[in-house]
Amino acid sequence: MDAERTYTELAQRARAALASVNASPGVAKPDPILLAENVRRNFGGVTAVDVQHLEVQRGSITALIGPNGAGKTTLFNLLTGFDTPDNGEWMFDSKNLKKVVAHKTASLGMVRTFQLTKSLTKLSVIENMKLGATHQMGEKWWNGLLPFRYRKQESMIERRADELLKRFKLDHMRDQYAGTLSGGQRKLLEMARALMTNPRLVMLDEPMAGVNPALKQSLNEHIRGLRDDGMTVLFVEHDMDMVHDISDWVVVMAEGRIIAEGTPEQISSNPAVIEAYLGTHQGKSLLEEENA
Amino acid sequence: MDIIKILENTISAFFGIDAAYFALAAIGLNIQFGYTGLLNFGQSAFMACGAYGLGMTSQYFGVGMWWGILIGLALVIILGLLVGIPTLRLRADYLAIVTIATAEIVRLVVRSVRFKEYFGGSDGINSFSSSFRDLSPFDPGAQYGVRPFQYSGYSLWTMIVGWSLVIIFSFLVYLLMKSPWGRVVKAIREDEDAVRSLGKNVYSYKMQSLIIGGVVGMFSGMIFALDRGSVQPDNYSRDVTFYVLTALVLGGVARVSGSVIGPMMFWGLYVFSDNFLRELTKDRPFEMFGIGIIQKSQVGPVNYMLIGLGLMLLMTFRPQGIFGSKEEMALDGR
Amino acid sequence: MNNSKSRCFAVARAFAVVVGALIMFSAPGVANAAESENSIVISVLDQANNNGVSEKIPVAGVKVSVTNPAGLAIGEGVTDSAGLATIPVPAKDDYVVTLDVASLPSGVTLIEGTKTVVNIVKDSFTTNSKRVTFFAGTAGESGASLFDRVAQRLVDGIRLGLIIAICSVGLSLIFGTTGLTNFAHGEMVTFGGLIAFWFNVLLGIPLLIAAPLVIALGGVLGLAMNGIIFAKLRKRGIGLISQLVVSVGLSIMLRNMYLYQFGGRTRPLDDFSLQVAKSFGPVSITMRDLTTAIISLVVLLGVATFLQRSRTGKAIRAVSDNPSLASSTGIDTQKIIRVVWFAGGALAAMGGVFRGLDEQVGFEMGSGLIFLMFAGITLGGLGSAYGALIGGFFVGLLVELASLVVPAELKNAPALLILIIVLVVRPQGILGRKQRVG
Repeated sequence: MDAERTYTELAQRARAALASVNASPGVAKPDPILLAENVRRNFGGVTAVDVQHLEVQRGSITALIGPNGAGKTTLFNLLTGFDTPDNGEWMFDSKNLKKVVAHKTASLGMVRTFQLTKSLTKLSVIENMKLGATHQMGEKWWNGLLPFRYRKQESMIERRADELLKRFKLDHMRDQYAGTLSGGQRKLLEMARALMTNPRLVMLDEPMAGVNPALKQSLNEHIRGLRDDGMTVLFVEHDMDMVHDISDWVVVMAEGRIIAEGTPEQISSNPAVIEAYLGTHQGKSLLEEENA
Repeated sequence: MDIIKILENTISAFFGIDAAYFALAAIGLNIQFGYTGLLNFGQSAFMACGAYGLGMTSQYFGVGMWWGILIGLALVIILGLLVGIPTLRLRADYLAIVTIATAEIVRLVVRSVRFKEYFGGSDGINSFSSSFRDLSPFDPGAQYGVRPFQYSGYSLWTMIVGWSLVIIFSFLVYLLMKSPWGRVVKAIREDEDAVRSLGKNVYSYKMQSLIIGGVVGMFSGMIFALDRGSVQPDNYSRDVTFYVLTALVLGGVARVSGSVIGPMMFWGLYVFSDNFLRELTKDRPFEMFGIGIIQKSQVGPVNYMLIGLGLMLLMTFRPQGIFGSKEEMALDGR
Repeated sequence: MNNSKSRCFAVARAFAVVVGALIMFSAPGVANAAESENSIVISVLDQANNNGVSEKIPVAGVKVSVTNPAGLAIGEGVTDSAGLATIPVPAKDDYVVTLDVASLPSGVTLIEGTKTVVNIVKDSFTTNSKRVTFFAGTAGESGASLFDRVAQRLVDGIRLGLIIAICSVGLSLIFGTTGLTNFAHGEMVTFGGLIAFWFNVLLGIPLLIAAPLVIALGGVLGLAMNGIIFAKLRKRGIGLISQLVVSVGLSIMLRNMYLYQFGGRTRPLDDFSLQVAKSFGPVSITMRDLTTAIISLVVLLGVATFLQRSRTGKAIRAVSDNPSLASSTGIDTQKIIRVVWFAGGALAAMGGVFRGLDEQVGFEMGSGLIFLMFAGITLGGLGSAYGALIGGFFVGLLVELASLVVPAELKNAPALLILIIVLVVRPQGILGRKQRVG
């Protein structure tokens, strides 16, 4: 009951903050945690990403949707330092990330997952989790030779990892190789591992891809849970039902640009979005048919 | 055919100095290739750093062995940075190409006539092992032990030091790989993007792994040089790295025991095959169906052919080593 | 169970292949070819003066030739790391030994009073081999002018560059289409040279007839490597790094198979090996080398045209760019890969024949080139066929020009330096695409 109430409160707060925001592409938000300006990336003459302006509201669940090849994953890569844009600036918590390399963004509190899960199959589930913790003394090689120097920290990390595993219902797999997990469990593990970095912004690239319907519901709950813990979530998704279900705000990309923004309700009735999803010609004929 | 002699030689090869220096080189390569996934094909160059560091310091500067180790360390770090900086950001095979090419250039430079006054050309450097010899508690001339484990005092001394180093470094690698540091490098081997997304500086870890592995390789070169009492450039050819790699794969990569047992088995098998073929062709060429197959002079190439074939078969069918577990195999992402 | 059974079969099959190869190759045993023939051993020594102690340092990489008194070529060679070149001669007779001054390493000239041409009379053969020594000294401004030396090196560099380009096209295409960095590619070059030797010297088939056969066999070797080994590995889903290590094992095995069969010496081919260099202004080149250079150029242009224009060529480029996309557009990827292995093997064998004509044939002739090939394809951009052509060519040129400034024994070092600089500055190479690297 208690959890239920917290959820509604936080959800309401996020939605309330976004209620006054105009549903137009590139609109400013009251309290952005992430801000991108003129980010552009070309691949051999093709513009993969060309984002004029994007803000992500702190404490919200923001969905990034769009047809295949819209540049969603590329934008993720650019924002997290896994790829370098041709030009543009972007800030996380008012820190400019332009010159920040990928591994540093994570220690700043901005963590991402991948479309194709990257669970490290030959490490056990618990080792996967412990890898996520930042600032580990034992990760310095000279400390690695002296177990007593990192043992205490290690057991603290392990305790935190066990708690998270329990929350994600992976505790029974604790000592198995991650390679033995099912596709959905790997998604969960990757998300849980990302949380070990204590992020403020969690960026999930297609968390539902390849996950069976039964697990989808619990994944949904977990993503809501992240917001309830005070994190901001930005996720890429194809599954419109899920987007509708959990997101406070939706950003639509097509051909590298942001073509629409708004609440899930606003987006589902936006003709530009329908057109982008169905393709220009089909979209037109659809409208024409409706007119006729 | 003298079967007893063959067996004796084989058994002593299992524990011989060759197996010890191979084990050290393999422990280093295991850190790099086995645990971190770095294809260092220039381990022989790291070995040469140790050997030449040792040889040159006592030969030219007249200072002791301990300085040689320090100079060797400096050379290893320079070499590691030289090959690592341009390649460790790139795909794995770039490192392989650059390390193998660098190792070859190192060998050419040290054996060159132009730099003969520093490195001794193709003759190498001799007579530098006296300070090591002086440390020996054994009488260098006397014979110790019983066949097949019979050694001169000096050989016994290098063997004890060599195998002690093997034990020490095995233990250190065991500690390192159980630590969070080991967790990070093992994760890098599997998927460096995942590790990067979790805030680890992958580049730096790869460099550390390359250099730490190179340092162990350096000790391998030193033991080898001390045992032979000379440093010769052609002992550090690219094929040495490949033989060490074969020995490592034989024992099983990413396992501490693999990098010790592998070289022992490698030398056991090699000496057996070599002795056997030499006995076989001692009096006349080995024939099959009336056709001469192996002549005396061809024993060497046939042995190495078998090593090449062995590496291919192991890599294809048992990449987890002779004693590797099926479970790990199943997780190989195949 | 079934799996382990098939594995046993595979092991048994591999052994059968090796044993079969041993039997097949063993019969005439080139390694034991008579060593008692007459020869002239030419030695080039640098009389250096080190701290008052005079030393004789062998000079490697010097070209020497033997003619009869009438000027007809008998043989030629290049001094090895011991400063020695052994040139077989038909009988104890009168000969003229000539040293090519332009091929002396930089900073080394013949000392005053040493002639570049030495006459040998029949009676001076006390044993089967007659030794001729040239003494060189370091420094000294005499000898060929800088311009002449640069011009000569340029020509030599173009020739080497063309050969490297021919050898490395296959290496790059195989990488592009399958992702494999094939360390055994050098052995494919050696194969060409050795089979040419077998046909030409042992069987007495004229090289002009043998060469096309050799090239075809080189293609078959490529197909076999793919079919017996690498296609199987891909099918089993074995990772690229493991495949690379397998190719290392293959390289060791083949190289020692060559050594087993051919022995450690280098030997010349019969045909075209006896030519006197013609001078064109400052440069001298034999008609043979000129011809191989022209053929190489024509072949390279042919390869480029093939890749640019033909259907198969376009398909190869498409697979190189993006294998999964290519196969989804209906290109038979496996067929393209077979074509690439065949072409790569054939071109490597051709490079081996040319290299054998240029220098001599030996069991390590290809593995010595593999560094230069890697440097070339990295410079040009891994996986890009045109990149391999251009990169290989530049590396050859660079190596020869570099020998003007660095000692001949280290002339490959600048190529490695270029390799490292390219990887720092532009890892995708001249023609590579950026995203291939990551």
